[in-house]
Formats: sequence, C-alpha cells, structure tokens
Amino acid sequence: MDTRSIVTEIIFKALRQLNDELAQGKKIEISTDTKLFGPEASLDSLSLVSVVVDVETGVSDSFSKTVSLTDDIAMSQQVLPFSSVQALVDYIIQLLDKE
Amino acid sequence: MELYSERTVLITGSSRGVGRHIAEHFLNEGAEVIGVARNAHCLEHGKYRHFEVDVSDVDKVQALFSSLRKSNTNIDIVINNAAVLTSQYAMIMPPDAAQAMVNVNLIAPFLISREAAKTMRKKKWGRIINIGSMASILEPEGDSMYAACKAALITLANILAKEFGRMNVTCNTLGITAIETDMLRQLPRDKIDEVIAGLPLPRYASVDDILNVVDFFASERSSYITAQTVFLGGVH
Repeated sequence: MDTRSIVTEIIFKALRQLNDELAQGKKIEISTDTKLFGPEASLDSLSLVSVVVDVETGVSDSFSKTVSLTDDIAMSQQVLPFSSVQALVDYIIQLLDKE
Repeated sequence: MELYSERTVLITGSSRGVGRHIAEHFLNEGAEVIGVARNAHCLEHGKYRHFEVDVSDVDKVQALFSSLRKSNTNIDIVINNAAVLTSQYAMIMPPDAAQAMVNVNLIAPFLISREAAKTMRKKKWGRIINIGSMASILEPEGDSMYAACKAALITLANILAKEFGRMNVTCNTLGITAIETDMLRQLPRDKIDEVIAGLPLPRYASVDDILNVVDFFASERSSYITAQTVFLGGVH
C-alpha cells in the first residue's frame, strides 16, 4: 500500500473504533468527505480527541515517526486538517514528507 | 491470592527508594511491572522489565509507549513516583536545579499519565497514582520549587481525573511524609526531625504506610475514588 492508502486506512480505523462506541443513529459516515470538525461535523469534542489519539498513535506505529495533529502549526494551516478526512490525510502526508 | 496477578503496572523512578519498594510490592503481588528510570535496573524478577528513560523527555516517553504497544503491553496502573529534590533558599537556588524539578516532578507525570491513558481508554479501566509530598501542604522554607511542583501534581491529578473519568480511569495522589531514602539523606536531619515532630502522628513513614494507600487507590473497589489526595501522618 502507498502512504496515502495507509494514512487513509489509519483514519478510517479510528472512525470505525469510534463508531463501535456510538449508539445506532449517532454513528458517523466513514468516507474521505466526512467532516471531522466545524459546524457541519458530526463528532463532538470528546469524540474528536479520541480520533486524534488513535490517528497519532497509528501514524507513529506505522511510520515510526511522531506527529502532532493539534499543535500551532496544524491550527494555522489554510485548510484546517480536521475540516475533512481528506484534509487530514493531506496534512499527515505533508508532515511525513517533512524531515 | 495475589492482588495484581492480572495487572501491568508502570512505575517511574523504580530503581531506588520508594519506587523500588513499590515495584517489589507489585511483583510480590503477581503484577507484571514496567520499571522506568534514568538508572540501570537493579531488580531481578521474571515479571520485571526495565526501561532506562528520562521521563521528562517527550520523545523518549513516546518512544517508550510505542515500544510497549508493539509488545502488546497495556498499562493498567501507573505510579508517578520519579522525583528530584534540591532544597535551597530561592535566592541561591541554581536555575538548572529549579528547571529539573519542574521537568521531573511535574512534566514527567503529565507525559506518562497521558500516554498511559491512551491505552487505558481501550480497556476502560485504569489507575493513575501520583506520589506527592507533605511539602505541598507544609511549605517548608528552602523547598519553594519542590513544594510548588508537588502542589501542582495534585492539581494535575484532579484535572486528569475529570478528563479520564469517563474512561473509568481514576487519578489520585498520595502525599508521603519522610521515609529513609537517598532523597531524604540530602536534607538536614534536624530540619526533617522538627517537621516530623509537628505532625499529628509524629514519626517517619514506613514502607507499609505507603503501600497501604497505594493498594487502596489501585484496588478494584476504588473505582469511585478519584481526584483525592491522602496525606500520611495527619498532614493537613
């Protein structure tokens, strides 16, 4: 699998794990268009924390590199990393490409 | 029956002093113990694993937990015990010593607790126990930074208790008095004796005094006990 596919799967896995804990009717759609943060997002703040932890851990374990998805750099991006799954994938790839 | 045969316990500062006593206790009670210290290990036991880590270094702490995840080790109980103490009047306290106390006595418990909580949330069970000090209440001269860090440790535990409560992870603090350790031997004995003489229970702590409260906080039955601080010896 290429990096994009691995990162996308890490995020999807985090969302599936979150869905395991959510009641029927509250489960979130798993797609690259899913909004993670903002007025249209279906995640509350604690669910988002849970997803961030799982994604950071997954990236660290898969790529042996620590990434922070909530630092000042992340929050100052033109497109916020949590606006959608796609934006988060793009941002993580950007971080992984940085040495 | 062993108290902790199903549990994995991470103890910082496990190579000597109070941390070593706590590590030996958990091993005797059947736990798997992950010892973390800057020093090499000095505990030989089949269920003891030692990691030489500077617990105030965020990269080293994350690498430690990454390594634990890779070996499928889930931490059930954390004992934030590692501490450093430089007792000196503020005006002549070396800044490096003050910074080291913040790093080891406060930043390290924060880093260890949050990384452990990330694994505890999967099992929805966890105990985080901080080793505090009577200094946070008695506020002795010469211990400005140490006492401030230990007071902050209580606040840290109380806030983490709120954040982690929904994951059934409790966070509590044990405020110990004086016990014979290398750390205590750094301090003037007459000064310590004077402090101890003023306590409601005017004696030095025994190891069992400490283990008693650690067991209480770690107990399955203490699932409804969080954001609490217990001081030994009647310190208040």
